[in-house]
Amino acid sequence: MEKSLRISRTITCDVLIIGAGGAGLRCAAEVFERRAGARVVAVTKVPHAQKSHTTTAQGGLAAVDPTDPVDKPIFHMFDTWKGSDCSADQNIIQRIVESAWDQIVWLEHRGMHFSRDLDGKLRKRTFGGHTIDFGEASAYRAVFEADRTGKGIMDTLWGETLKGGITFINQAVATELIFDRNRCVGAIVFKLKEGEFLCIAAKATVLATGGSGQVYQITTNCRQNTGDGLALVLKAGLPIMDAEAVQFHPTGIVGPGILASETLRSVGGILRNKDLEPFMEKYAPKMKELAPRDLVARAIETEIREGRGVMNPDYGVEHVWIDLRHLPDHIHDVQIPEVSSFFKKFLNIDPKKELCPIRPSNHYHMGGIPTDENGAVERGPGEIVEGLFAIGECASASFHGFNRLGTNSILELITMGKFAGEKALEYIDDPVSLPKDAGEITFSHFSKFLNAQGKEKIGRIRSELQAMMTEKVGVFRSEQGLIQAMEAIKELQERSERAALSQRSLKMNQELVQRWELDNLLAVSMVIVCSGLHRRESRGGHFREDYPERNDDFHYHTLAYMPISGDVKLGRRPIDMSIFEARGPDYEKFGLIERKY
Amino acid sequence: MYEVTLKIKRYDPDRRKSWIQEYKLKAGRILRFTDLFRKINDELDSTLAWNSSCEHAQCGTCAVKVNGKPLLACELLVENAVQYFGSPVFKIEPITVAPVVRDLVVDLEQAYANVERMQPYIVEPAHKQSQEAPSQIHPHVLERYVEATRCINCFCCATACISSHRTFVGPNAVMASVIRLMDPRDKAWKVRLDRLYDHRGVSRCHTSKACSFVCPKEIDVAHFVALAKEGRFGNVRNR
Repeated sequence: MEKSLRISRTITCDVLIIGAGGAGLRCAAEVFERRAGARVVAVTKVPHAQKSHTTTAQGGLAAVDPTDPVDKPIFHMFDTWKGSDCSADQNIIQRIVESAWDQIVWLEHRGMHFSRDLDGKLRKRTFGGHTIDFGEASAYRAVFEADRTGKGIMDTLWGETLKGGITFINQAVATELIFDRNRCVGAIVFKLKEGEFLCIAAKATVLATGGSGQVYQITTNCRQNTGDGLALVLKAGLPIMDAEAVQFHPTGIVGPGILASETLRSVGGILRNKDLEPFMEKYAPKMKELAPRDLVARAIETEIREGRGVMNPDYGVEHVWIDLRHLPDHIHDVQIPEVSSFFKKFLNIDPKKELCPIRPSNHYHMGGIPTDENGAVERGPGEIVEGLFAIGECASASFHGFNRLGTNSILELITMGKFAGEKALEYIDDPVSLPKDAGEITFSHFSKFLNAQGKEKIGRIRSELQAMMTEKVGVFRSEQGLIQAMEAIKELQERSERAALSQRSLKMNQELVQRWELDNLLAVSMVIVCSGLHRRESRGGHFREDYPERNDDFHYHTLAYMPISGDVKLGRRPIDMSIFEARGPDYEKFGLIERKY
Repeated sequence: MYEVTLKIKRYDPDRRKSWIQEYKLKAGRILRFTDLFRKINDELDSTLAWNSSCEHAQCGTCAVKVNGKPLLACELLVENAVQYFGSPVFKIEPITVAPVVRDLVVDLEQAYANVERMQPYIVEPAHKQSQEAPSQIHPHVLERYVEATRCINCFCCATACISSHRTFVGPNAVMASVIRLMDPRDKAWKVRLDRLYDHRGVSRCHTSKACSFVCPKEIDVAHFVALAKEGRFGNVRNR
């Protein structure tokens, strides 16, 4: 083994948080409020917590205001259940929705700069899929901070945790979870700037590592979202739930992948192919551009697959156009100024005069590390791992099931962050002891990375993986495509073993980090493929061309285990139907209903 | 297609050596400078270190100096850069507010220490808070400081600032303090004003307004610094 690889320091803390985005820091803040002086260490891959991906969330936070004369929590629960394609857990839906408004008040009292109405109260807006009276009319349910709600949350939580006395370890990644029998007792952390390995002993460990969007070629996710937390638990022999449930937004801006909001279509934007034909007429003759997200995404991908896409020479990405040229100036200037400015800023395109290139963009991973209603990680149904929690996008409780509604994700991360913080406190009076072999798994991996020989390039393998996953495991999936994807991943995995690094330094060696990330991307891709192969039906974000309808024989969560690379074993977790089973008012709305809008 | 030359200032922490390295590459007109760095990594030199995160101009991680101007590499398009600077040759350096870790990566943690010093949070709530309801803030009150809340701490302003980074906390740090002075929910004016006007505080500003000129979010940073400089918050205790 490589001599330079050793633990440079062992530190101890009460709560170790891996990933300092919205979920991780909300959890830390809760710990401080309940136990002043607790020792909380937060590890983040970015140079500072404020740079976390949460900061890019635009839209808002869904929460039913108890003083609202028409909106009720039961409507929010119904919308979430219906949106999830009947695949979310009803106990989680109920707990999050009922706690939502308290969380808004909490954020506001701690200084978040919410947008205000003329009375100085929190402004609210509508959002796709959020309704009153079980789908009768749009609900004004999303509170927001202009077009930067995620940033508002992040700034507030950063401030609160600073006040609490948090210790940040910036620009660092967790490479191994440490266990003492069935209890997680901390993690090995690699500090990128210093090139040092830390052993962190913790009474409770919280995974809040975010999404896995970099598995795909076009994504709204930041550069760091390489599914690290998912790969970490897989290596520890723990499962990933509903890995196949990936959300694609129909209109990502070619290049940066930023969302071009649905508003573009609702104000009259027209989708056109290479021949400038307005193709939505063929797929949804009545609704056209206003058809649901998944239908629009599939229509665009079909056009591209059948040769009617346009190639962007700079990014090497095929796309279709959204035509906004016919819209009057006041719509451009008043109703869609932000999105218009994205096209201008990132593509030098004037949407008033030119066609704008868009393509479905990977947006959100509904699947993740399975947890109970407190964020405690599950080894199997009802069987928790002591001292280990998972929250935010890397986790799956599951609040979103197979399809997430807009504004529900940041609601989920602040509520689950709070619950996990409360629960983590129960461990902090139990001392932990570290096993002697902590770090060995990390060093054997890093040794392999540093000593690899061969001419393969990490960047090329990653690009090939992303292109392949987009083509075969993206908006469309099929038995044949998924089998091909599985073979391709195995081949890429083998090739990755032959990628020699250009330098062997450990200090801020980005190539070394990218090599480690590549293993994570390959692992996450593999469980997405195997779970998708098993699920011979279409549900939410998982669309099988060969099985285009939902089939309620598959009414369960998929669990995928992969302790050894490439060797996937599947299991199941039942979907909680407690609202339905309680037979309360309107319970029948929580049965296996159709997701039709 | 453009042929561009990037002259990148590099630093190797293992050898403590710094040098300028030239990369020539072909680039499509709308590629961004972060795309160029990635292209260098994938095609020419996998050892070049640079930072970015969201690449949507919303996190400020990718700030660098291009021909001396601090900016976000994720929103600088090749064709705009050629037009703006009048040449396809670019000198690229790390921002100067913190020590360099490697190449274009600086230790932002040290730069952030200045912002944290200014307590970017509510220190002492001004009113008794009800558990059920959020406080009310009239939109006209919010309007006075909401622009400042858009700051992403990319440190472009602090890089451009003509005052020394060692003696001045920096324009963005001042702005973080000003936000909470103008926010009716906080009343810790005494501690805030003490820090704002101490030896590293706002008196170090030379009023060059370079901060407003370079801000990628187009915030009039100098306006908020000026409010502090003119002593606008002196009366705040009597509010």
